[in-house]
Amino acid sequence: MALTLTCPICGQRNGYEFRYGGEEKGPRPDEEGLSPEDWCDYVHLNKCVAGIQKEWWFHRDGCGAWFTTQRDTTVNLEVEQPEAQL
Amino acid sequence: MKRLTHLPTLRIDPSQEIPLKYNRRTYQGVHGDTVATALFANGVRILARSLKYHRPRGLYSLDGECSNTFMQVNAIPNVCTENTLLRRGMTVEAQNVKGTPETDRMGFMDKLDWAMPAGFYYRTLHKPARIWPLALKQVRKAAGLGVIAPDFEMKGKYDEIYPQADVCVIGGGPAGMSAARAAAAQGLRVILLESRPWLGGFFDYRPAEYHDGVPLYRRARELAQRLEETTNVRIFSHTAMVGAYNNNLITAFQQGGPGDHFDERYIEIRAVSVVVATGCIERPLLFENNERPGVMQIGCAHRLARTYGLLPGEQAVFSIGHDLGLEAAIDLFDLGLKVACVADIREDGQDPRLVDELAARKIPFWRGWVATRAHGKKTVTKVSLSTIPGTQQRDFGCDLLVASAGMTPVTGPLTLAQAQLQYDLHTGFFLPAQLPPKVHAAGRLLGLHDALAIEASGHLAGLEAAADCGVSVDADRQRARENLDSRPGPVRGCKLVLAPVKGRKSFICFDEDTTIKNIQQAIAMGFEATELIKRFTTAGTGPGQGGIPGHNLPLFVAQYLGEASVAAQPTVVRAPLVPTFLATYAGSHHDMCKRTPVHDSQKQAGGVMRRIGVWRRARYFSQDFSCREEIVNVRNNVGMLDASTLGKFRIWGPDALQALQRVYVSDMSKVSEGKVKYSAMCNDDGCIIDDGVVVKRGANDYYFTTSTARAGVTGEWFRYHTRYDGWNFSIVNLTDAFGVINLAGPNARQVLEKVADADVSNAAFPYIGYREFTIRDTIPVRAMRLGFVGELSYELHVPSSYMQALWDILAEAGRELNIRNFGVEAQNVLRMEKCHLIIGAESELRTTLHDVGLGFLWDRTKTAAKTVGAVALRQTAEQEGRLKLVGFKMEDPSRTPKDGSLIVDRAIRGYICIARHSFTLEEPVGLALVEAPLNQEGTRLEIFEDECGDRRLYAKVVPTPFYDPEGTRLRI
Amino acid sequence: MNPEIWRRSPVSFDRRPAQTETRDNWMVVLKYEDESEGPYLIDLSPRTRWDVQDSHLAEIRPGGVPIPDKPGQCTFQKGILVNRMNRTQAAVWHLTGETPEPPAHAAYTDVTESTVFLALVGRRVFAITEKLTSLDFLDPARSAPFLLQGPFSHVPCQVVTLEKSPDRAGILLTCSRGYARDLVAAILDAGEEFGLRPAGQIAFHNWLEELGY
Repeated sequence: MALTLTCPICGQRNGYEFRYGGEEKGPRPDEEGLSPEDWCDYVHLNKCVAGIQKEWWFHRDGCGAWFTTQRDTTVNLEVEQPEAQL
Repeated sequence: MKRLTHLPTLRIDPSQEIPLKYNRRTYQGVHGDTVATALFANGVRILARSLKYHRPRGLYSLDGECSNTFMQVNAIPNVCTENTLLRRGMTVEAQNVKGTPETDRMGFMDKLDWAMPAGFYYRTLHKPARIWPLALKQVRKAAGLGVIAPDFEMKGKYDEIYPQADVCVIGGGPAGMSAARAAAAQGLRVILLESRPWLGGFFDYRPAEYHDGVPLYRRARELAQRLEETTNVRIFSHTAMVGAYNNNLITAFQQGGPGDHFDERYIEIRAVSVVVATGCIERPLLFENNERPGVMQIGCAHRLARTYGLLPGEQAVFSIGHDLGLEAAIDLFDLGLKVACVADIREDGQDPRLVDELAARKIPFWRGWVATRAHGKKTVTKVSLSTIPGTQQRDFGCDLLVASAGMTPVTGPLTLAQAQLQYDLHTGFFLPAQLPPKVHAAGRLLGLHDALAIEASGHLAGLEAAADCGVSVDADRQRARENLDSRPGPVRGCKLVLAPVKGRKSFICFDEDTTIKNIQQAIAMGFEATELIKRFTTAGTGPGQGGIPGHNLPLFVAQYLGEASVAAQPTVVRAPLVPTFLATYAGSHHDMCKRTPVHDSQKQAGGVMRRIGVWRRARYFSQDFSCREEIVNVRNNVGMLDASTLGKFRIWGPDALQALQRVYVSDMSKVSEGKVKYSAMCNDDGCIIDDGVVVKRGANDYYFTTSTARAGVTGEWFRYHTRYDGWNFSIVNLTDAFGVINLAGPNARQVLEKVADADVSNAAFPYIGYREFTIRDTIPVRAMRLGFVGELSYELHVPSSYMQALWDILAEAGRELNIRNFGVEAQNVLRMEKCHLIIGAESELRTTLHDVGLGFLWDRTKTAAKTVGAVALRQTAEQEGRLKLVGFKMEDPSRTPKDGSLIVDRAIRGYICIARHSFTLEEPVGLALVEAPLNQEGTRLEIFEDECGDRRLYAKVVPTPFYDPEGTRLRI
Repeated sequence: MNPEIWRRSPVSFDRRPAQTETRDNWMVVLKYEDESEGPYLIDLSPRTRWDVQDSHLAEIRPGGVPIPDKPGQCTFQKGILVNRMNRTQAAVWHLTGETPEPPAHAAYTDVTESTVFLALVGRRVFAITEKLTSLDFLDPARSAPFLLQGPFSHVPCQVVTLEKSPDRAGILLTCSRGYARDLVAAILDAGEEFGLRPAGQIAFHNWLEELGY
């Protein structure tokens, strides 16, 4: 409840307006030659950083934008202005 | 009792009497009274009995720091009556007593304390184990304070409010008011929270001099009036701050006054900056019978007189450790209280002017003396005083003992805001070593006592808060700091906790009846950490939230163990800081759910409405929940279902097709105009999450449906899975824009052709066709020929505003055929007979497209699309050991197993997704997810139902679908 | 068109209409009995709303009105309110005049049927809204009209503050049509203590006129 996130469109809002979209891992790899293990790692393996991590959030109750932001997981606070994404 | 009616500090209006019913008798209070002060005015001294020992309890602090004044008010138990304003028509009853508080038949418990040492529940009542259930019964009977009736209903109006603020100031005393004023002067929006019904804090009731002959109370009123006139300051009085969270989210509860439209309301504020100016409460002095009615704190005694016009007693003894005690003794003496003696714990350090004033009144003043015992069975009749080392002793007869060891800063809000507290040797306080960002502390809680210093500290904090909001206040801030530095700093605090006594009846926690002896027992058993001693002895775990023992417990433990070995550590406080109603948390509790455009007519037609996801839908149309008639009607005639909750979307733009290829498993380039394409969506694990149909309405322009559950998340799903691609497509959610009527049954065409402005014959509008036409020259519809229920059926998508009109038109057109409604449950059975899936019913998070037999939908060749789930689908296509979907029939057709029943042999092999009696097939059928090889046709399945004991049901795996396997009925 | 076939608004107030009008098969209430003096809750659901989505929004002028540059900004001209929602999307709300023809451009989707459309106008409007949302309609950093997208009574809404002044304050809001009844109930309940009442179109147009639109 207390988390705030800064939506690139709407500005700082209460965390419960957003849906978490996971850690930033980059685009999905090509299917060609992908082993089941590699794929599973891409989908399920998270770094779970104790500190600052880049992650995706969706402004579900607001403008409907996906964006990335840097969050310090140890204090549950956003650290920087998010980058603008669609 | 006679009131002092002419004091300028009064917060009551003695001319307005308010009657009060207490324990079946009627008493008179006055406007402004709390319930407890009204009773006190009527001579009621014993307000409650304590939790364990049923000791008499009375007024002690007036600020709700303990359960001494908890009563049942208007059937609500555990109401803190010392801060509940008296209102007309209140019915109040004592609680936790057998009889009355005066003569409680449980009073003998006080003599049994030897049988209840610290932790005795845990240590004694389980040996032997069989006594625990017996003991439990007795413990349950004795435990707890108030009793709630099983049929109790919370009355009143509970509201919520989310006011906007740049700066939130907690505490409406001189520091808080100064801070609010300073921040507001910078043009910021300021909110001030004050727990008492008025502003003023500890200035409010004191006639002592503020400055230049102005008394403190008048100064407080001046400050308050100025704030009230400031438009950008909002004052919430009678508002207890209860929580502080990340990024300065502050929560509070306000009690409604006579003019308010709520009884209590929840307040949530997201402030840029917060100033905590909560001041101090008093630190209780511990001696024998330190909570006997007649023993009270300085502020309590002083405010009874000054705020409520009630002399706290006739003959008093003061045993105090702070100048406020001297001031109160002098003022109360002047108001008519006889003062036998003022014993000050401190040898020195008193304000000499106060000492002179005591001497002028010939009040005996003893330094280095302290109360050791209050005498009197129910209320105080006599007090023993002794020197601090206990070498000399004297007794005084009295009915009032004003006792207080010193001050305790109210640091709860700071702790909640993650400030780390540290013991400060000078003040004896636990003070924040470092404050979190954008949180400031001001005033008395820092140890200040000088009135001007307190205001200066508040002023500075207000400017600091303004700076947090981006206002440039550097010069002002510098001046404010210099001003504060020029005033007296924090005063040295008295450190004594316990008078020279053994402590068998010295209560460190009133709520839980914890004595000093209990703490010593815990330490003797090896506990050293205050936090653990708190848990073991329960000191501070009562409704007072540590208000009484919070400061004393860590000080005592540190002193007892020797401060060199154990540093004083405060125990942790948590939200809510004061007890609050769950009703207030619930607030106005509007259940926000969606209704379809024909909701009312469905209900009128006998629809039994159920909450399904965010919607309310008609599940049945009779009290026969097997829905026989609805089902038979669709199979043999024609029915109408409100399917408006289906997700509906438009997607278009140059890259729309690419986006569809990404999320749908099929090759969406094959979607052609005039035809619907059925497909499914998977997640990255290849597990099926949705199915629906897609139609093409123009170049790069598609209309598609999703399941009801996915309607809210499909837009974000598309955007999420294309987030790195920069594709140019647009998507708009039309779920609520269209109502949907599923017109189904062999006679469906006969109904539709009467009203449609288009040829709907089988040739012109065949199965899986898509058409757009109007109805009765007016209503535009998007029509799909689908067969979810296994019959000829039309899914008509109609603008929501026309939905009811179309429903009525179809009902009228079908009247001669006896068309009738069917609901979600009938549809569920119909589609099950046809083995059409509902995602979430026949699938779960680990069910892949292959598992439910829809693997054929996946196009393996479109690898460039990077379809969500494709990698996993490839990897799991031939995977063994998965749960597979099968159809089954029962060996004993008289019995239908319950949904969710397990398929077992020696282990669990799967479960039943759905099973219903099929009226079409005249026997029960169902679908189950079972481990291979149990999915082979003809396999006998053993079914374990909840609570079936040793009995099992048996079924056989059969081919699917059960009904019309050739699909001829869809195509008629 | 068959004039006997009625369109229905998702909102129905438990009040007796005093004056009505037929518009495009909608039965529009111009005035309710005993409207008193406000604040008012007004159903604007029959008013045409368009969604505009395009990667080049600057080139599109709905009804001749330019789309503002930044998300959150609004333009209100010729009775048309255009709200910029994000980088590629705007909402177009027709507040006055006849029902417009839907433009042929693919960027437009008629979403009149998607949402419930309400106006909350008059004295103490923001005392009502602060009971329902933490959205800041009085943000000093924004000048009216401006758009906020966020939860209102727990439902995702688009809310435009059209006027901040205490006497003539007003917001317009839309949310998913299905929530209409519960949202209206929540607003009326929150507004009860401030005398909030349902009102018809005349009250809305009077209010717009007073604002000088």
